[in-house]
Amino acid sequence: MSKELIRLQNLTMEFDGERILDGINLYINDHEFLTLLGPSGCGKSTTLRIIGGFLTPTDGNVLFDGERINDVPAYRRQINTVFQRYALFPHLDVYDNIAFGLRVAKVPKDEIHERVTRMLEVVSLRGYENRKINALSGGQQQRVAIARALVNEPKVLLLDEPLGALDLRLRKDMQNELKRIQQATGITFIYVTHDQEEALSMSDTIVVMNKGRIQQIGKPEDIYNEPKNAFVADFIGESNILDGVMLSDYRVRFFGKTFPCVDKGFEPSEPVDVVIRPEDIDIVPPAEGSLTGTVASVTFKGLNYDIIVEVKGFKWLIQTTDFHPVGAVIGIRLNPEDIHIMHKSEYSGQFGDYSSYSAEYDELTEDAGDEEE
Amino acid sequence: MKRANRLITILIFIFLYIPMAVLIVASFNTGKDIAHFESFTWNRYIELFQDDGLLNLLANSLIVAVLSTSIATVFGTVAAVGIHNLKPRMRKIAMTLTNIPMTNPDIVTGVSLSLLFVFVGTRMLGQRDSLTFWTLLIAHITFSLPYVVLNVMPKLHQMDNSLVDAAMDLGCTPMQSFFKVTIHEIMPGIVTGAIMAFTMSLDDFVISYFVSGLDFTTLPVEIYSYTKKPIQPKVYAMFTLMFLLIFLLMVISNLLQLGGEQRKTRSRGAASERSAGRIVKIAVAGAAALAIVVGCAIFIGNNGAEPPVVSEYTMTELPAGPEESVTINVYNWGQYIADGSDDSLDIIAAFEEAYPNIKVNYSTYDSNEIMYSKLANGGITVDVIIPSDYMIARLISENMLLELNFDNIPNYQYIDETFRNTSFDPENKYSVPYTWGTVGIIYNSKYVDEADVTGWELLWNEKYTDKILMFGNSRDAFGITQYMLGYDVNTTDEGELTECAQYLMEQKPVLQQYVMDEIFGIMQNEEAWIAPYYAGDYLTMAEENPALSFYLPEHQGFNLFIDSICIPSCAKEKEAAELFINFLCDPKISAANMEWVCYSTPISEAKQFLDPEVAESEISYPAAEKLIKASSYAFLNPETTRTVEAMFMEVRNSR
Repeated sequence: MSKELIRLQNLTMEFDGERILDGINLYINDHEFLTLLGPSGCGKSTTLRIIGGFLTPTDGNVLFDGERINDVPAYRRQINTVFQRYALFPHLDVYDNIAFGLRVAKVPKDEIHERVTRMLEVVSLRGYENRKINALSGGQQQRVAIARALVNEPKVLLLDEPLGALDLRLRKDMQNELKRIQQATGITFIYVTHDQEEALSMSDTIVVMNKGRIQQIGKPEDIYNEPKNAFVADFIGESNILDGVMLSDYRVRFFGKTFPCVDKGFEPSEPVDVVIRPEDIDIVPPAEGSLTGTVASVTFKGLNYDIIVEVKGFKWLIQTTDFHPVGAVIGIRLNPEDIHIMHKSEYSGQFGDYSSYSAEYDELTEDAGDEEE
Repeated sequence: MKRANRLITILIFIFLYIPMAVLIVASFNTGKDIAHFESFTWNRYIELFQDDGLLNLLANSLIVAVLSTSIATVFGTVAAVGIHNLKPRMRKIAMTLTNIPMTNPDIVTGVSLSLLFVFVGTRMLGQRDSLTFWTLLIAHITFSLPYVVLNVMPKLHQMDNSLVDAAMDLGCTPMQSFFKVTIHEIMPGIVTGAIMAFTMSLDDFVISYFVSGLDFTTLPVEIYSYTKKPIQPKVYAMFTLMFLLIFLLMVISNLLQLGGEQRKTRSRGAASERSAGRIVKIAVAGAAALAIVVGCAIFIGNNGAEPPVVSEYTMTELPAGPEESVTINVYNWGQYIADGSDDSLDIIAAFEEAYPNIKVNYSTYDSNEIMYSKLANGGITVDVIIPSDYMIARLISENMLLELNFDNIPNYQYIDETFRNTSFDPENKYSVPYTWGTVGIIYNSKYVDEADVTGWELLWNEKYTDKILMFGNSRDAFGITQYMLGYDVNTTDEGELTECAQYLMEQKPVLQQYVMDEIFGIMQNEEAWIAPYYAGDYLTMAEENPALSFYLPEHQGFNLFIDSICIPSCAKEKEAAELFINFLCDPKISAANMEWVCYSTPISEAKQFLDPEVAESEISYPAAEKLIKASSYAFLNPETTRTVEAMFMEVRNSR
């Protein structure tokens, strides 16, 4: 990859004695699309605001191109931001909003006109120059906000949940749009979202955060396929997470049975978390399965059914295109590559059990629905 | 129910706006009487724009209002931003602290500011005039500030904080982001706050009253001291203009708020917003036009007045004036010197014409006691005052007057013997009589039987129950009773005073009310028929209603008051002040002055220049034998004063 642009060293942030960020270490490369992903309150927006210069960290360093910029105010950083609620200036029209940064920088008038016009082209808003901000739709406002930031040709663009206020259809379009703009301009994007699907589809690198700490950094595929702990496994996509014991390399035991797997490098007999993605599970006749269970509920999801299957008191989520009625006894077959082994962590036992139809489950099925599209 | 609600709403509006309507109608009335609309005229407005004095006062008020509003708006906005950036708890405390001065009674604010200014000015900076234009301005800024803060705060609160972040993100320093973004967002609050500050400043009386010096007064303060003469109709015209100005400002402020709300609801459509914007523009244009008209009128008015030619107006040779230019502060009753209106001579302008090196700073008070407390509080320089007899006695006893150098007052020779060696200044050291007059009974000859007019007891006559007025001050009320009973008006005998109080108590059932200057309208409109008052004021009333007569109870005795010119001990320009006193004692000047003031001159030599009808009037100048039983009030000791006050309060408050 290209060279490193921003580095966060042991970043700590406290508000009124409460620790919001707890030792964040991260580097961001030039031209990269990096996403900070996590539930609300995980510290992702705080991290972004520190990079933007709106907050000063309690401890740790922010390096930009190798230089410490902790004390450089926002207005002197080569960084621009797209705010959550756009923060467009209501007293100015579209053109003046986009020209704002250039005017502050005392760019010559002709050049301002040229750059603003070009930017309007990029965000497909030609002809809207003199519109009042309040007369624009949410999507149009969003594009003005992006144009206003990008016209300054920053080294880095920070985007704080920029699509949060848009409806689903628009969000999809804007995701593609943003990716296209990022690739066209080559500007480093640091993107904050709580939407895992958004993160997976747009990012070069995802940083999963929770409780002020980084849980995992990696490419979208790695994060999805090799989650580091139960939190990541659960937050990215859906997972059945079981207690197991790693007997030796490539052999894991759970539910009283030993299964072959593709993981290695654990201590002999180390207790582990076993992650099985709902879409990876094959339903077979009971006699052919390594495990058997009873269908407890079925939800039609369009492309597939979400089936909750009770196996020895533990409820599994299985996604399948075949219908199985409630009460049917089915067999479960697990291939070695479908079984992911993780070290035990503070999150062990908190996620991955579908024993109750909780709000959490509903929320997760919603995300899953998006993913299936 | 609905109809009743509507009716009540209409009644409330009538109740609220009727006073203004009356004033506006009165400003177009040819007659001086509010009760009868004679015919329509613009003359009041023309008179107004010819009256330099009033226009100057209006200009003063506007200057203070504009300056204090501008400064308070800037500071208030900055303060609001500062408070907004505090932590929530501190913000709450700060807001409470900001709001307290607003709810604080004006009088408390006024007195405490006055004390502070005098303390700082006199004690710390060693100034003589600590109460000046600047203290007035500071006070106005002080009480205007909270209104600005209060109006700006909610706008800051409503503002999306990320707007400031966005501005900084785009390269603005905090200062730039305030001017490029924040100020636009909070502008409606700033404008509303400024308008409120402006109106508060324009109509403030109480605080201004305590903090203004003598060099600069505002309109409300001055109008309040218009006690020697009834309020003139041109003042109605001015009030009408002020009302219109404030009305327009309020309309603008409301429309601005409306516009702001509409913008927030967004979807409401741009059309209504645009129309609101248009109304705001029209209103602003209206206010600006009104201001320009008034401004031009002031300008033209000021230039139109021609200076009087002094030589024609004085009889005597005036002593030479100072070489250096000096300013004297003259502190007089309101409306107690001819000011050029009604074809009179502008006495002060004439004096300044005669002595180009002396500038007169003229200011007014509405009672001896107010004048006394202003002097006693300190913080002001006064060179000339014109107190009444008993107050002079008090000032002398408290060493608050300077002995006069009569070498500078040659015209003292014209003062009649009768008015020398007075009880309050037996050695003629401190005072030069200015005017004098008697207190008698004014009655309406249409309704009152001449046979009943036998003495002070007329004020107790049950036949005229509910048509009799009585003095609203203790000294005159007790004095009348004492004359009727044959007691000494300066007594300290508590038994006699108690007896007087009983008589006053007995008088209550026949009285319509206690009055002071309200008497003019009531007597002229014949709402009451009998009242004790000053002879000079009777002449003013009789001009309006010829049926009014004046009776002097010479056999019982009556009050003869003398207002005299003195120099207080805080004076800075004693010699120039003496020249001013001398000028006032020129018989020709005195005559010109008294013609307007309507009181009597103590200079017989002046009578030749008066309208013979006045000069020979038994009312203005009663024959010497009628004055045998007349007496002046002396200064009572504080204890007796308090007793009399308390007794009179009890009488007034009883049912």
